[in-house]
Amino acid sequence: MSRKIEPGMAYDTSKLNKVFAFLSILLLITVFWVFLDDYLRPWKAVQIEALKIKREKIDGQLKAAEGAIDQQKMKDLEARLEKADEIIATRKKDIAVVNDEILSLNKLIKEETITSGQLNGDVAATTFDFESASAHGDMKHAEQVLPKLHDLKIKFVASKDRMKDYEARMKKEQKKLEDLNKEVIETENEIKKMTMSRDLLQKAKKTTDMNAIFVIRNSPMVDYLDPTLKIHQVVMENITDDRYFQQVAKVDRCTTCHTFIDQKGYEDQANPFKTHPKLDLMVGIDSPHPLKQYGCTTCHGGEGHRVNDFNAAEHRPQNEAQQKEWEAKYHWHPGHKVALPMMKLQHTESQCLKCHQGVEYIAQAPKLNEGRANIEKFGCNGCHKIEGWEHRRKPGPSLLKVAGKINKEFFKNWVWEPKSFNKHAKMPQFFMQSNNSKPEFVKKNIAEVNAIAEFIWSKSKDYQPFDRYRGGNAERGKNLIKEVGCMGCHGVEGYEEESKKVNAHAGPYLTGTGSKVDADWLVSWLKKPSHYQEDTIMPSFRLSDTEANDITSYLMSLKNKSFERLKFEPMNNEARDEILVDYLSAFDTEAGAKAKLAKMSDHERTMELGFRSVGKYGCYSCHNIDGFADRAPIGPELTKEGSKPISQFFFGIDHTIPHERDAWLKAHLVNPRRWDIGIDKLFKDLNRMPNFYMTEEEADSITLALLGQVSENIPMAGKKNLNQWEKMAADGLKTANKFNCIGCHKVDGFRGDILNMYEDINEGPPRLNDQGHRIQTDWFHYFLSNVYPIRPWLKVRMPSFNLSNEEKNSLVSYFQGISHVQTFEDNQSEVVWEPGERDAAKKLFNNLNCVSCHSTGFTNDPPSAPNLYQAKRRLRPAWIRKWLENPQAILEGTVMPSFWEGGESSEPDILGGDSQKQISALVKYIQEIGYDKLPNSK
Amino acid sequence: MRELINWIADPIRSFPIFTILFFLMLKHYRVVGTKKFAWIAFLLSIPTFFWFAADPNFFLIITTPDNIPISILIILITFLTWFALYQCAVNDARLEQGLTPMEGTPENREKVWTWPNLVYTELFAIIAGTVFLIVWAIIFKAPLEEPANPTWAPNPAKAPWYFLGLQEMLVYFDPWMAGVVLPGVIVVGLIAIPYIDTNPKGNGYYTFMERKMAMTFFLFGWLALWIYLIIVGTFLRGPNWTFYGPFEFWDLHKVVAAYNVNLSEFFWIKGLGRAMPKNLLLRESVGIILSLGYMFGLPPLIARTKWGMSIIEKTGKVRFYILIGLVLLMGSLPIKMFLRWLFSLKYIVALPEWELNL
Repeated sequence: MSRKIEPGMAYDTSKLNKVFAFLSILLLITVFWVFLDDYLRPWKAVQIEALKIKREKIDGQLKAAEGAIDQQKMKDLEARLEKADEIIATRKKDIAVVNDEILSLNKLIKEETITSGQLNGDVAATTFDFESASAHGDMKHAEQVLPKLHDLKIKFVASKDRMKDYEARMKKEQKKLEDLNKEVIETENEIKKMTMSRDLLQKAKKTTDMNAIFVIRNSPMVDYLDPTLKIHQVVMENITDDRYFQQVAKVDRCTTCHTFIDQKGYEDQANPFKTHPKLDLMVGIDSPHPLKQYGCTTCHGGEGHRVNDFNAAEHRPQNEAQQKEWEAKYHWHPGHKVALPMMKLQHTESQCLKCHQGVEYIAQAPKLNEGRANIEKFGCNGCHKIEGWEHRRKPGPSLLKVAGKINKEFFKNWVWEPKSFNKHAKMPQFFMQSNNSKPEFVKKNIAEVNAIAEFIWSKSKDYQPFDRYRGGNAERGKNLIKEVGCMGCHGVEGYEEESKKVNAHAGPYLTGTGSKVDADWLVSWLKKPSHYQEDTIMPSFRLSDTEANDITSYLMSLKNKSFERLKFEPMNNEARDEILVDYLSAFDTEAGAKAKLAKMSDHERTMELGFRSVGKYGCYSCHNIDGFADRAPIGPELTKEGSKPISQFFFGIDHTIPHERDAWLKAHLVNPRRWDIGIDKLFKDLNRMPNFYMTEEEADSITLALLGQVSENIPMAGKKNLNQWEKMAADGLKTANKFNCIGCHKVDGFRGDILNMYEDINEGPPRLNDQGHRIQTDWFHYFLSNVYPIRPWLKVRMPSFNLSNEEKNSLVSYFQGISHVQTFEDNQSEVVWEPGERDAAKKLFNNLNCVSCHSTGFTNDPPSAPNLYQAKRRLRPAWIRKWLENPQAILEGTVMPSFWEGGESSEPDILGGDSQKQISALVKYIQEIGYDKLPNSK
Repeated sequence: MRELINWIADPIRSFPIFTILFFLMLKHYRVVGTKKFAWIAFLLSIPTFFWFAADPNFFLIITTPDNIPISILIILITFLTWFALYQCAVNDARLEQGLTPMEGTPENREKVWTWPNLVYTELFAIIAGTVFLIVWAIIFKAPLEEPANPTWAPNPAKAPWYFLGLQEMLVYFDPWMAGVVLPGVIVVGLIAIPYIDTNPKGNGYYTFMERKMAMTFFLFGWLALWIYLIIVGTFLRGPNWTFYGPFEFWDLHKVVAAYNVNLSEFFWIKGLGRAMPKNLLLRESVGIILSLGYMFGLPPLIARTKWGMSIIEKTGKVRFYILIGLVLLMGSLPIKMFLRWLFSLKYIVALPEWELNL
């Protein structure tokens, strides 16, 4: 091999150079590549697309603006401008003179500005020189400087003076010029006014030009040139991200791609260019949640600070179809170990709960409200603690006197399978589930149920009904149930259609009642519910003996024959002892446990198992049972369920459920025992969460509500802080909710479930709109414990609730809080009349024929409107005024006529036809005739 | 087949196999160190690799951004080890024939200029390395994760790849041993090599024949106790640091039965059938005596063997005892590993009261 290598060289130099050249070029290419890789970001393409959309939009608007310009008028103006130009031309000489003057003044002003600026600096510097010298005691120097300072100050003042003179002269000359050009300027201004929106749009369009300047500004490596394609971000001071070791201000860069999310006019665009669909509630600058303050991920979740591409933000598809679409479009895949991925769109509402706490409902979040209503309906909060739900009662009825209400056989069959008695039962089922229906488990479950029954019966206090059933008319009873308002809280067999419409769940669905309780108990219960259970929310309807017996007659006729035939298997002592040994050997050997058991009598064993089983299944969480008052509820706390790490959810061996929080929750709600399937467990370790047999929709809505139970730490300033009124309303609603007031009354459009049953809304319980403004507080407080009929023509009755003073007060402040009114409004003790006003009022009262409806006390006709004599104590004068002005505005669909529609009086002869004066007079009249005493009061 | 490989890959089996293969390799280095052997091995490894990579679990684990350096490391270490053995084989054959080693031939002894021969080519290496790193950085995004969340730690929580050998040692030793003493000894031992190894042979040329002991000790420590443990730690340790075969899915819930017993418990309870003494030192006396015997009793015994005497003769007593001390410490790792696998031995000396477990 001929190597032409120089001495002392291992390689051929030219070959080395070639290698070097090759490597250098390779390095150069990779450097370009790395810059390009850094520069080409997916979000930039989105912004360019957005720019195009914006341009199109502006083009459209421009066309419209152009079309809006009146061409004829434009032509006229242009002709006028030409003429004006001609007029001006004649003044050419004068204008030239003025222009010269302005020019020379300009020069003077500029010159003086320089002089004055220099003097200003000199004065300041010399002042410092003088002051520092005198401060340090160098009086000699100070005295030297002082004359110079005075001299400079004088010069400065003179310069300022000259400046004022020049400026005044300038103004004068400019005015002169304007006068000379008057015709042109005026016409031009008019033209400008017409073309203004077009000109502005043209300017806006210019910002979307993709010209050379656009290219230069957006070139790589020149970020200091203020690129137009850039990351947009919102930094929120009041909302933080949990970075585990510290809370940092939340940063959302979503608007980098969702360019028009807060701008109107892009509703028709596809995502990400769409306008937010609820701009008036969210994101919009005038909405309660402006973008700048609340950002995006506060509600939507996701990684708001990440922008690179679609996947960076951790978007989450709503369903499988969308997932497929995204996979094809964006190569979508969930990120690795993302603590807070975006909420699926259908779950976004859950996040309202983060900031809106301490309230029963959130007006703008219907799905969340539904979920929370379902939590209440199924009583999840009985077994699971949820912060903010502590005020709620136990979901199930008290068992303190249960032996006086039902028999043991019923109890056992009911507990075994509640739905076999009542398919609307809210009581969930613990037994015969997917994890405990093996024969050996069933045998033990039967022993447990028997023991629970014996235990509860032994704990139950005696109860004797205070009244006897004397027989009644079932048909009348059935009608009464519908008429008096039972269905505001109960669904009732025989009224399936109505029950469905009302969808009440405060009380049980009344079916098979005759197979459950005895008639004496029922009569007593109906007449005075608190006799059986002191803390019941079931009110008294002040039923007469006949009425109570009629209703009882109907309810007792509702039988469940197939349930009555059920015979519950008797206690298997062997199974009982086996379970007990299991319990007793928890801290003891099996032999020790057996020895302990041997010492117990048969009865003691049953009681022991009953006690243990009530604890095991958590019966006490929903029902009051003697001896369990201090026990914590059985289920795990759900306050922070929405933040529980996905790794802490147990999916068992079920591979059909995606590993997502919402999927687990829903699957768990639909069948809580599914996680035990395929897992070998001992009897004592079986999952005990009962099955509610809820529908998919119900499970979905509860899932949504639970997803909102997050542990995020929102600073006080970022949260919704209730003001005085809101706090009063929120607290009052808790009471209104407890007693299901809103099951019957529609409060400012909210709930009033029973009204769905009525064809004529005026036949149902009164709607309470702006109620705080309507009623006198002292009357309301009195009325709540001394109910009397206000609208005697209504068949539905306001029941008498067993309210504490605290509860009455909270209801009072509930309406006060809604209406933002003072606690009391003055009633004039003595009405002061204007001259002639009283006669006018009386005349009006007659002419408008008020007594044709408000007949009570005036005529013998049956009334179809409330008693006016009692209006004084009940109603606030300010409200009566408003009511007379326009009743429909307060209560749409009311039968009260509007006599002053649109401010026009129908009685032009009285008080000069002045509607305000007429209304005042009538209000005074009602005050005057009103009783001071409250009805039924002593 | 895959099940078999999964089964073999468990350190209980793969470490002895690896060790046996290692010694076979050294024994037959003249066969291994041939180009023919290398070609055959290379050609065999290609289909094998593709067969391995066809498995989704294996493919996933080798292509994880964190693990790519280890894949590169395996290839480089394999090649460089072979290359050293190849050079040794060539030179040793020449030395046997009485020739100089390859590095000693006249044309290889010729001197050339540092510039450009060395500096220029170093520059090439720098540029090529930079290009490689840039391209790597572009293609494989940095495997960064979410901000550290103390309530949701990664599982498995793995040390950086170069510390995975140490982390693997934690399976067998207490942290103070695996995390402090052994790494310290490794560093001290590496520093001490030039002072202990006074054998002038092999200076400037590859040879195995003339430095058998030095090469064997070093390569065993390097390949079996460091590289092998890194590979195990990277590819075969999954969630909860449980062993997963190369084709096994990393099931978070996999459970492996492991209940380990201390030597003192073996001795007192299982052996003598009596309660453990209250006195701590008495309780652990067997382990303490064994450990002390291992560290201080064995060296004088070894010094009397033929092998020991020859080393003392060549290097002196001080060097001999330091060398034996280091070798014994190194040997303690495989010994403990075997004891764990064979007897589920937890600690030889178990003094948690003094935080002193061996």
